[in-house]
Amino acid sequence: MSALFLFQLRRMGRNRQFLFFTVALPALFTVFFATVFGQTSDTGYQDYAAATMVSMMAYGAMGAALGATIRIAFDRASGWLRQLRVTPVPPSSVVGVEVAVGVLLTLPSLVAVALVGRLVTGVDLPLGTWLLLVAVLWAGSAVFVAIGLLLGLALEQKAAGGAIGIVGTVLALLGGLWVPVELFPSGLQAVAHALPSYWYAELGRDVAAGEAPSPLAVAVLVASTVAAGGLAAAVARRRPLHAVAG
Amino acid sequence: MSGETGDVPHYCAGGAADRLDGVTDPALEISGLTVRYGVGPGATVAVDGLDLRIPRGETVALLGPNGAGKSTTVNAVLGLVRYTGDVRVLGRAPAEAVRAGDVGAMLQHGGLPSEARVGEVLDLVRRSSPRSWPLPDLVATTGIDGLLRRPVEDLSGGQRQRVLLALALAGRPPLLLLDEPTSAMDVEGRRAFWTTMRGLAEGGTTVVFATHHLEEADAVADRVVVVAGGRVVADGSAAQVKAGTSGSTITFAAAPDDHLDDLPGVGALTRRGATVEIATTDPEQTLRALLAGGRRLPGLQVRGASLEEAVLTLTTATPIGAEQ
Repeated sequence: MSALFLFQLRRMGRNRQFLFFTVALPALFTVFFATVFGQTSDTGYQDYAAATMVSMMAYGAMGAALGATIRIAFDRASGWLRQLRVTPVPPSSVVGVEVAVGVLLTLPSLVAVALVGRLVTGVDLPLGTWLLLVAVLWAGSAVFVAIGLLLGLALEQKAAGGAIGIVGTVLALLGGLWVPVELFPSGLQAVAHALPSYWYAELGRDVAAGEAPSPLAVAVLVASTVAAGGLAAAVARRRPLHAVAG
Repeated sequence: MSGETGDVPHYCAGGAADRLDGVTDPALEISGLTVRYGVGPGATVAVDGLDLRIPRGETVALLGPNGAGKSTTVNAVLGLVRYTGDVRVLGRAPAEAVRAGDVGAMLQHGGLPSEARVGEVLDLVRRSSPRSWPLPDLVATTGIDGLLRRPVEDLSGGQRQRVLLALALAGRPPLLLLDEPTSAMDVEGRRAFWTTMRGLAEGGTTVVFATHHLEEADAVADRVVVVAGGRVVADGSAAQVKAGTSGSTITFAAAPDDHLDDLPGVGALTRRGATVEIATTDPEQTLRALLAGGRRLPGLQVRGASLEEAVLTLTTATPIGAEQ
């Protein structure tokens, strides 16, 4: 288990594109939005900067969780999972490691964006709130690990490659991570409320505002995680990891 | 080996090669192996009640045309497909044997991970194996010196195959399964590969390989198992399979009006211009009959069947000579 875990981490660490999209890009957006729109915002700079930072933490963590787990489709297509299946590496650990790697890799995004928010854009929160914010968003990212795993197990290599970008972008855009949902027309607001990305960011906004996470957000995220995880397990049963195609 | 499959020619005395002291489990014991793909009326039977026993230390070629069931048999032994029947690898069930490092394999559809170095991949498997092969020795045996720090993406086709072999051997398995291992290799690569295999076999490793390269089976294997229609249709040394199946071919020159009917033992008779070619299961009887009338046989040649002809005979439903 641990040998495979370290092996997978090292592979992901080598992926510069992954690091750019999940750490550097959200950090840059945090600074960009706060600098360009922060001063003219109706809500005042501090609130705007905090909201932007929370959205970008959610965006980065979501991208990391999805990106790390959807890649299992590539390992299937290359024949690596099949090869791995005929070595003494226990087959039961493969998915477990995938989940662990996905969960761990959301942390750099969360921490990097929080640090940029605090040190560069000057978001001012009590220490306890900072810690709770990172902890809550870390726990909540489980939903994207589950969705990524589901997509990675169900899709072929090409579709999976596209899904990393498209699913992340759609969830971010329609979930209100780039543009606040309040600015959406009412039809799109309804769409946003149906997406886990909206509720995930809502979790962060609640904590940043010094409140407890709303029970509705928690309920939606837990239900989505269980549903995606259950579907992923069903797909894995129908189509074992070592099946190269079909 | 089950005795009731009376129509299958077996040429070897089972168990003779169980030479490891105190260890009685054969490297591989398969009985009644059946694998179906799909369900309902569209289902196909890839392996149909196959029986096979391979004692430790043998080098065995699974020979047969595409779709004969070779790969499926290999995959069943590795626990990659669902099957009915019984498969024991050194006394263990397939998945258990893989986990215990008792079997290593080069697969037809196996691959290496992206964004990793060769040394890291080997390290992963060696760390996970109950007994691992010391790295310098493994590197030297499989000819991958200088490749350990190389990213997997930068390997050539031949290097890739050698790395896959190293991966199969990393846990020092007593049984090695190879499914068409040389299909991506050039002539030089093949030669080097089989030299490595001979070395492993001499060291006591049981090597089972599926191939449709007859010359490889002929040159490398102690024993050739011919598979067709998901069953074993012949089993023995390459020489035995050749001798025991399709007999011989007699060629000579004859005038077109020379009647050559009613000769004993003849399967097929073909004329190419003045040349007559006769496939016979009993060359001596056929020749006696030919020579009986004082007939002259200019350019006479009698030769045994090649392994290729033998396998063709064994794996096609119609015997040689059923059609001319």
